[in-house]
Amino acid sequence: MFNDSDCLRILEQAMSTTADFAEVFQEEASAKSVSLLNGKVIKAGTSFSSGTGIRLLAGTNAVYVYSNDSDIEVILKLAKEAAQAIKGGTKSQMAELQKLCRTSAAYVVTDPMSVKKSDTVDFLRKSSDYALGYDPLITQVASSYSAVDRLARVVNTRGVNKEDQTKRIRLSVEAVATKGNEKQSGRVAPGTMRGYEFIDEYPIIEKTQECCDTAIRMVNAGYAPSGKMAVVLSNGFGGVIFHEACGHALEATAVGIKSSYFTDMLGKQIASPIVSARDNAKIKGEWGSYETDDEGNESSDLLLIENGILKNYLVDELGSRRMNMKPTGCCRRQDYSYNPTSRMSNTYICAGESTKDEIIANTEYGLYCTQMGGGSVDTSTGDFNFAANEAFMIRNGKIAEPVRGATLIGKGQEILKNIDMVGNDLELSAGMCGSISGSVPVTVGQPTIRVSSILVGGRDAE
Amino acid sequence: MDIKKAEEFMTKLIEEGTKFGFEDCEASYADDISMSVDILNGEVSSYEQSSDQGVSFRGFKNGQMGYCSTTSFDDAAVKFMLESAMENCEVLNDDDREFIYCDENNKNLHFSQLTEAYEKNTYNRFAELGLKLENAILALDSRINAVDYLSISCSRGPALIINSKGLHSYRDTDGMSIFAGCHATDADGSVKSGAHYWVGNDIDKFDMDKFLAKLSDNILGKMGAKSCKSGNYKVIMENEAFMQFMSAFLGNTFATVMQKGLSLLDGKEGTKIASDCFTLKEVPMYEDALSKYPFDDEGVLTTEKAIIDKGVFATAFYNLKSANKAGKPSTGNGFKSGGTIGTSPTNLLVVPGDKDFNALCEAAGEGIILTDLSGLHAGVNAISGDFSLLCEGYLIENGKKGRPVEQITAAGNFYEMLKQIIEVGNDIINVPAGLGEFFTPSVMFSNISISGES
Repeated sequence: MFNDSDCLRILEQAMSTTADFAEVFQEEASAKSVSLLNGKVIKAGTSFSSGTGIRLLAGTNAVYVYSNDSDIEVILKLAKEAAQAIKGGTKSQMAELQKLCRTSAAYVVTDPMSVKKSDTVDFLRKSSDYALGYDPLITQVASSYSAVDRLARVVNTRGVNKEDQTKRIRLSVEAVATKGNEKQSGRVAPGTMRGYEFIDEYPIIEKTQECCDTAIRMVNAGYAPSGKMAVVLSNGFGGVIFHEACGHALEATAVGIKSSYFTDMLGKQIASPIVSARDNAKIKGEWGSYETDDEGNESSDLLLIENGILKNYLVDELGSRRMNMKPTGCCRRQDYSYNPTSRMSNTYICAGESTKDEIIANTEYGLYCTQMGGGSVDTSTGDFNFAANEAFMIRNGKIAEPVRGATLIGKGQEILKNIDMVGNDLELSAGMCGSISGSVPVTVGQPTIRVSSILVGGRDAE
Repeated sequence: MDIKKAEEFMTKLIEEGTKFGFEDCEASYADDISMSVDILNGEVSSYEQSSDQGVSFRGFKNGQMGYCSTTSFDDAAVKFMLESAMENCEVLNDDDREFIYCDENNKNLHFSQLTEAYEKNTYNRFAELGLKLENAILALDSRINAVDYLSISCSRGPALIINSKGLHSYRDTDGMSIFAGCHATDADGSVKSGAHYWVGNDIDKFDMDKFLAKLSDNILGKMGAKSCKSGNYKVIMENEAFMQFMSAFLGNTFATVMQKGLSLLDGKEGTKIASDCFTLKEVPMYEDALSKYPFDDEGVLTTEKAIIDKGVFATAFYNLKSANKAGKPSTGNGFKSGGTIGTSPTNLLVVPGDKDFNALCEAAGEGIILTDLSGLHAGVNAISGDFSLLCEGYLIENGKKGRPVEQITAAGNFYEMLKQIIEVGNDIINVPAGLGEFFTPSVMFSNISISGES
């Protein structure tokens, strides 16, 4: 990392023409990982990376340059080139640099980087041993662990001088069941910003059994039906639909250029009155949390939707200039090689009043999705699609047979209005989110919810 | 840091690695130099320029291969790399051996494909072209409200690998791309988005009229789209959609995936898996490809080969490790992936048939053209081959492209679909995929289940 005076020299070069704002982002990240397949350790890796990104703004024009060269002269030259490329704006002054301060949303007792890989291997092997002896249908079990320690420093022309440290660990267990030519899998992949004690406390056997049960159920299941029907989404990762179909459309990346279907909708009813949602980056120890964002602003617990009314967008510095709103501390990037932008953190639909059992009992016919796969959304049209990794039919208010191969299809803005029951069992679930500033850790979440009608793309007609 | 200094650091790593106790070791260096210009609302909204270098090391000891990578190239980094790689070696107990390799007859591999045209890639050229393109897109039709995304970028990257067995391999490449996405609003308020891209290695070869015609087709052609009746249809998967569809399942042809029991193609080499009219080849040195690959990252020479030959699964993709396990030679597909040696195809080609796109529609008579498949990363089960995907496209009516359709899903099974290919067109396009490009025409299937309106 460059010292204060070097950072100031970089900023001076960056501001030597017409930029009205400049920022130096420095990052150091260490990572270690280990992967097992059927009890054998087949991959073990370690890496270190560091680099510097320099961003210049002149109004809404941006220039971003980066390099992982540690030679200050190379970085100064890069800053000068960036200054020559910026268009518009007027020469601006720099504020006095504040004293460096460090923040962290990590909640760590035992530093994951201090734990020997052999200890982690012993832990993961418990999962493999259990799964392979669980049922003859289970033919594969893959498990992995990774830990990343990242220190990100932001110095900018407004005098900001902050470091934010994140320490994340992620665990993954996937069991595959085979029956003839059919292979289906069950997976859990928790992530956290707690320390290695999270691993020590994790009920690995119980979770491995859940993976095996899902894989076995799905390999024996028939195909999901096609057509419009009521869909109950279970708590936790079911929130991926809100994340994809609504969350992305609330980011300044889309709203700021008026390409989102939620543009100019603040204060308007965009969801059913029983829906409230938040993006809360401040939850200590949570996978998607951080205290200081990647442009030096304090993170926030942001109310997105309250009783169906749109309350806030996710706004970063560039978005704030386009939208004439204050940044909400949501600017993120995968690493120094990405120009940062507005992103989600821990995004969830708030708990309601119904119990899961009430929601199921009130559904005559429909689909109950207990494990969701990934999905995608077009934020200009609202079109989305998601895969259900595990699902059951609901018949006469009861959970009936398991079904596989279901995809949920619709428009984000319609789904929000069609949520007609919200459970009281809010749960968060870790994932990775991809967008123009790279892949960042996020959690999605929700209680059990029911959507009155979604198009289910399956293979069987009912 | 220039490549000479990187080579000094790598040589030191190899020397110290041998002293540190590794039986064999290898260091590789890659640099990614790139530049991009984004256009928004008549201005250059973003300009990016970068250089990103890294060295990775792998050391072999007691039958195991430990890896480590860094972006720092000092003496402390040498110590960190060797100690970390050794710790990784010690926890591994992989039954399948990985190799550090050098072909005695091909110790020095050198392949440079940097172009003179790359020098034309300047901020000013990109800005000028981008602004002109944005204007031209907005002028296509009054329903196009905004160009949401327009980016012109270029990159070049040298890569060097040296190892203790004497391999010295150098390869470089460069290229540029243009991507534009926009949305249009119809009189009834319905919104459609569309995008198009171009890849090449000479900015002067960009054909703006052709680009605009395709983008216009992608967005305006779909205005007024609505669903269609559920049922089983004859389907033409348009070239780009077919490439995306094949790519989602391509991993099943990797020997590493097969050997893990995660592909139903395991044990099927030499057997019929697709229709007679379907041939998929890997052509590493394909003439029209922007990046060519005479050798892989393990120092193995590549060869042109059929993967599926007239419906028969001719060979899987092998690297040295999976080839050793199968008792076969490597197919030259050992390429770095996620820090370790994985498996990757280079340039792929679906061998074209005789019919152009219109003739395919004529042959279909009635059916559906699928142009866009959404959620390929989510709506497919790569292991079982099951898929259920949100699609857009057109009806085929009386042998001609008819009205646009949306909000439909196509569902089926990849392996069953391979046997339902009844025609392969000749409208080949190139789409960037993995290390190289995928060259494919449109393909017709006899029967796909479509869910739409009841």
